[in-house]
This record gives sequence, C-alpha cells and structure tokens, in this order.
Amino acid sequence: MPVSVDDEIFVARVDRLTKSYGAGSSEVTALRDVSIGIERARFTAIMGPSGSGKSTLMHIMAGLDSPTSGQVWLGGTDISRMNDAELTLLRRRRLGFVFQSFNLVPTLDVRGNIFLPFELDARRPTEQERVRVESLIDALGLAGRLAHRPHQLSGGQQQRVAIARAFATEPELIFADEPTGNLDSRTGREVLAILSAATAEAGRSVAMVTHDPIAASYADRILFLVDGEVVDEFPRSTPEQISQRMLTLERVP
Amino acid sequence: MTGRIASFRANSREHAASITVAALSGGFGVFLLQITAMLSVYVNHQNVAQHDTAQAALAILTVVFTAIAMYVGAIVTTNTFATIIAGRRRSIALMRLIGATASTIRQSVANEGLIVGIIGALIGVVVGVALSLGVLAVLLRTSVIPSLHYPLVSFSIVAPIVVVVLSTWAASWIGSRRVITVTPLEAVGSAAEASVGDTRIHPVRNVVSAVSFFVGLALVGIGVAAGQSGVFGLPIAFIGGLLSFVGLTLGAQLFIPWALRGVGALFGRSAPAILAAQNAVRYPERSTRTTIGIVIGVTLITTLTVASQTFNSLIQSAQAAAPQVFAGSTTILNVIAEVFGGLIGFSVLVAAVGVVNNLSLSVVQRSRELGLLRAVGLSARQVRAMILIESAQMTLTATLIGLVLGFFYGWAGAQSLLGSIARKAAGNGFVPLTVPWLFIIIAIAVSFIFATGASIGPIRRAVRLSPVEALATE
Repeated sequence: MPVSVDDEIFVARVDRLTKSYGAGSSEVTALRDVSIGIERARFTAIMGPSGSGKSTLMHIMAGLDSPTSGQVWLGGTDISRMNDAELTLLRRRRLGFVFQSFNLVPTLDVRGNIFLPFELDARRPTEQERVRVESLIDALGLAGRLAHRPHQLSGGQQQRVAIARAFATEPELIFADEPTGNLDSRTGREVLAILSAATAEAGRSVAMVTHDPIAASYADRILFLVDGEVVDEFPRSTPEQISQRMLTLERVP
Repeated sequence: MTGRIASFRANSREHAASITVAALSGGFGVFLLQITAMLSVYVNHQNVAQHDTAQAALAILTVVFTAIAMYVGAIVTTNTFATIIAGRRRSIALMRLIGATASTIRQSVANEGLIVGIIGALIGVVVGVALSLGVLAVLLRTSVIPSLHYPLVSFSIVAPIVVVVLSTWAASWIGSRRVITVTPLEAVGSAAEASVGDTRIHPVRNVVSAVSFFVGLALVGIGVAAGQSGVFGLPIAFIGGLLSFVGLTLGAQLFIPWALRGVGALFGRSAPAILAAQNAVRYPERSTRTTIGIVIGVTLITTLTVASQTFNSLIQSAQAAAPQVFAGSTTILNVIAEVFGGLIGFSVLVAAVGVVNNLSLSVVQRSRELGLLRAVGLSARQVRAMILIESAQMTLTATLIGLVLGFFYGWAGAQSLLGSIARKAAGNGFVPLTVPWLFIIIAIAVSFIFATGASIGPIRRAVRLSPVEALATE
C-alpha cells in the first residue's frame, strides 16, 4: 500500500479514474482518466456544467458507485475494489453526506435523523460524542426542533439537520451534492457559511459538487470538470471570476 | 376504449395484485357454488327427508364464506388502488396541470378497476370451474359419490362473477378518492415530500363503529346471561358478536395503528427495527387495511376453534357424569369446525396477497428514501431485516388481535350455548375455557411463515436498488 506524503495533504484522491456506462457503440464515458485529490481540512468545490461528470466523480469517491478503471483512495484505504458490505461500513463510519433534497428520513424526528449514523452502527454515542453532537445541534439552531418531523421544517432547517447528521460521527470527509440547490439565496448562504466554518474552524474536510458560482465562491479550492475531465483548478475566488471561467468552459467546442 | 386499454397495459404491473385478489375471491365463490350445485343433486338423490333444509343451509354457508372472502378482497383492492394513487401523484398533477379535471382522472382510474375486475373474474371462473370438475372427477373415480347427472357448470356462478367485478370496480373508486386532493402545483418544482400519515377523521364511521361495537358487546353479555337458563343465549350472543365485530372492523383505524406500534416495539431497538416500526405506521389507513383482512380471518377461525374445543371438553366432563346422553356429539362438531376453518382460511390467503402488495409498493414508493439510507450506511443486511420486520409486524399484530378476539367470541359462544349444561354439570354456571395451545402456536408460526414469504420479493427489489439511481429518482 503506497503511503506517501499525499496522504497527509489529501483526505481522498482518485488516480487515473475512468468511468463508462454501457458497452460497444452505446458506450458513454462519464469520467476520463481523472486524477485529483481532496485536501484535508479544506472546503473543495467540484464545478462543472450539467453532464460534466461531477456527480459521478462524487459518487465514486463516496463509495456509492464503482469505477471502470483506476484507483480511489480514502485516506490510506483503496476503496475501488471493496464490496458492497465494506463500502456500506465505509460510508457509515468514515463519510458524511448532504444532498440537494430528500436528505432526511421522513418517519424519524430531527434527533432520530441526526443520531441515525450511530443507530445504524448499533452503538450508543460515547459521552464525548453526545456532548459534541449536542453542541453541534445548538450551534445549528436546532435545539428547539429535535422532536419535529422533517416535513415540519423549512428547507434551510432540513439542510441544517442533514449537516448535523453528516458531522455527527466526525467523518474524515463530507460530501455535499448541490446542498443549496433547493434553498433561497439567503438560506443558501447560511448553509454555505456553516460548511465553510466547519473546515476553517473545526478542521473538517468538505467536498461540494455544485454548478452555482456563488456557492463555489465559499470554497478554498475549486476544481473545474468538463466532459469527464478536470480542466482547471482555482484557489478561493470571487463569484465573478468563477462565472467567467465557467462561461469559457461552456464555450469550448 | 383503446386508450383505456393502453393505459391499463402500462399499469399492468401495478394491477397484478388486484387481479390476483379478484381471481382468488371470484374463483373461490365459483368453486363453492359449483360444489354446492353438485351436492344438491346428490342430496336430492339421497331423498333425505329434510333435503330442503340441507340445501338452504348449504346455500347460506356458501354465500357467507364467499362474502367474507370478497369483503377481504375488496379491502385489499381498495388499499392497492389508494397506494397506486399515492405513487402516481406526480403524474396526476401533471395531467391536472395540462387541464384534466380531477373527476376525469378518477373516472379513468375506476375504469382500470373495472378492467381489473373483469380479468380477475374471468380467471376466477376458469380456475373455479376447472377445480370443481377436478374434485367431481376424483369423487366419482373413487366412488365416494354415485354417478348421477351432475351439472358441469352451474348457472349460479354468475352471481360471484358479477359481484367480484362490481366490488373490484367499487374498491377502485373508493381507493382513488385521493385523486381529488392532488393539486396541479405538485407537478412543478420539487414539491416537499408529502406529509407523513393520512389522518382523515371519519366522524360518522367512528360513531357507527362505536355504537355497533358497544351494542354488540351488550348483546353478547345478555346472550351469555341468557345461556344460564336456556337455549336462547346463542342466537342473542351470535348477533351481538357479529355486531360488535362489524363495529371493530369499521373502527379498525382507531386501534390497529396503536397495536402495530406496540408489536413493533417487540422487535427491539436496532436501527432496522426502529425504521420498520415507523414504516408500518407511516400511513395508518393503509396499514390498517392491510392488517384487517388477516384480523377477520384469524378471529373467525379462532372463534370456531375455541368454541368447539370448549364444547368438547365440557361435553367430555358431562359424558363422564351421564355417558349415554352425550354420546357421539363431539366428532361431528370437530369436522364442521375444521371445514369452516379451512374455508375462512381462504380469506386469510386473500389478505396475505394484500400484505405482499403493500410491502412491494411501499418499497417502490420509498426507493429514494432507501437510497438515502443506503448512502448514509444502511447495509443490505439491515435492509433485509427492516423489510422482514415490517412484514412480521403486520402479520403478527393481525394474528394476535385475531387470537384475542377469537378467544373472547369463542368463549362467549360456548358460554351462551352451554351455560345451563355447565351449571348442571359443574355447579357454577361457568364453562371452563379451553386454551388450544397447539392452535395458538400454529397460528403464530404461520404468521411468521407468511411474513417471511411476503417479504421475499420486496426484499429482493430493495436490495437490488442502487443508491445512486434511487437518489436520482423523482
């Protein structure tokens, strides 16, 4: 197992990753020889127009989908050859998720949703974990909502519950898939500020897939994907700079 | 008409369960009537003095057993249609958006129900007639009955055919009620997940249910008291029992969700068990309809078993005192109880189709939620456990309720019939309750077997689900 200096910088990375669907003449390549790393304790945005392969990249890095070829690493673990049961444990214990919508189990209340990763692992949170999650709940302003069901919450509150769940087990990496896609702009900015603060202040690692330049402007580092290939990388940038780059990307013939 | 058939074909997978239910209950009715017609010829030939009475009794029993199966079938079909509508909300909203009225859409759903009823009835006729002829052939071959001029197809089978078509049609109409609650706006944007539960209040139904239940219960009490002195106890208690049970069936939504919750707690506090317990009561109306069919069947079978066994043991103790008076009266009752139990058991089978269907549709309809759960770490094993527990929760709850009710009714029946005998034999007027342990064990075992069988298909479907695709579905 090659342990390199990369593992200290990168919490996750893919090496020569290719993903294609179908076979023969109907084969579609979603990702072509992609090699990138997600930096530890930083907020990374993966940007690209629709169909650029950014969601596929996230799904493969998150152990939700399997690569056609290439390697996928989470920390020092090669996850590209893991079976379903191993990947399930990996997602449960080492990763967190915030999706665009339908993030919560409708039959569970807020507390049930936040503590779901512990329940799935058939264990009680330790005292330390419990205190941490409770303070997370306070910080996200959910203390008064713990007995509510998801449908009783606003969209922004639902996303905050999803964030609390994603951070509850202190996973190595949190994936956010268009986390603000269903929110109004003010609520969206609040959610982005929370994710950004989690990396800057609490040292968490977040990878966010988005096509929204404003959302991407909260990230420390922005990767641009077009037609299944990484074509550019930006440090923290303004929405204008990001939009400009996106426009030139879209114009590529 | 061609449009109607095209839409039906597109939905034929959703309708498989309703067709099965219509075919089962229709075929059951056809089969019973065919057998009744053959028995009539036989009874007439025997020149039994009371053959009119025997034929009337046969006819009444046929109607009763068929009616139970068809009633359970109609509940299952109503439920299936309600569930299908819930899954189609988005496309119904789209049709509303482009200008279809709610009543047109509901009408077209009911048309699907009519076609389902017709197809099911046709299958039922073929199977029912074929089976009855098969039975006839076997009886003739083995010379159990003499070779007479038996009718190949009885005219009377028109009745169950018509009834099953009409009841399926009506069930699809009642089940599609929620079409009118769909707004065109639901088609645009990703409208919020529909709120959990369908807490419709039925004030009239609840009052009728409560009145029927309490009046029935009072009559059972009167019947039991009357049983102390004479033979009028049983008919009074019977009417009371029927009335109170109809009350319970109508008001099932008031207590079954609670029972499901309670039984759900028996499966522990693991994540799959908690999720399963919540799923089973997510749509109280749906899970009540799924459960009640089994409750009806198990209650009736338990009533018969408890009544006949209590009767037997009392007769045995009475026999010890006066052997010549009660000789031979137990065996015939046992046979009757077993035959009736088997015939009622058929309606449990129809109800079981409802459980399978409820589980499969609910897996399809919450595929997105399953995708989310798989993403955050619910393993394939846990998915299996969750669905199996959901299934077991429904069948076990129904079985337990049925056992409790059946015990009460069975004991009340025995008490109202035999109270006076018990007073003579044992001194006090109480008929000792005989607990048929073997029957209880078998009933619970069968409910677990049903639960496992019902969950196989839905589990396969749920485990095959890819989280990525499930999360992408709208």
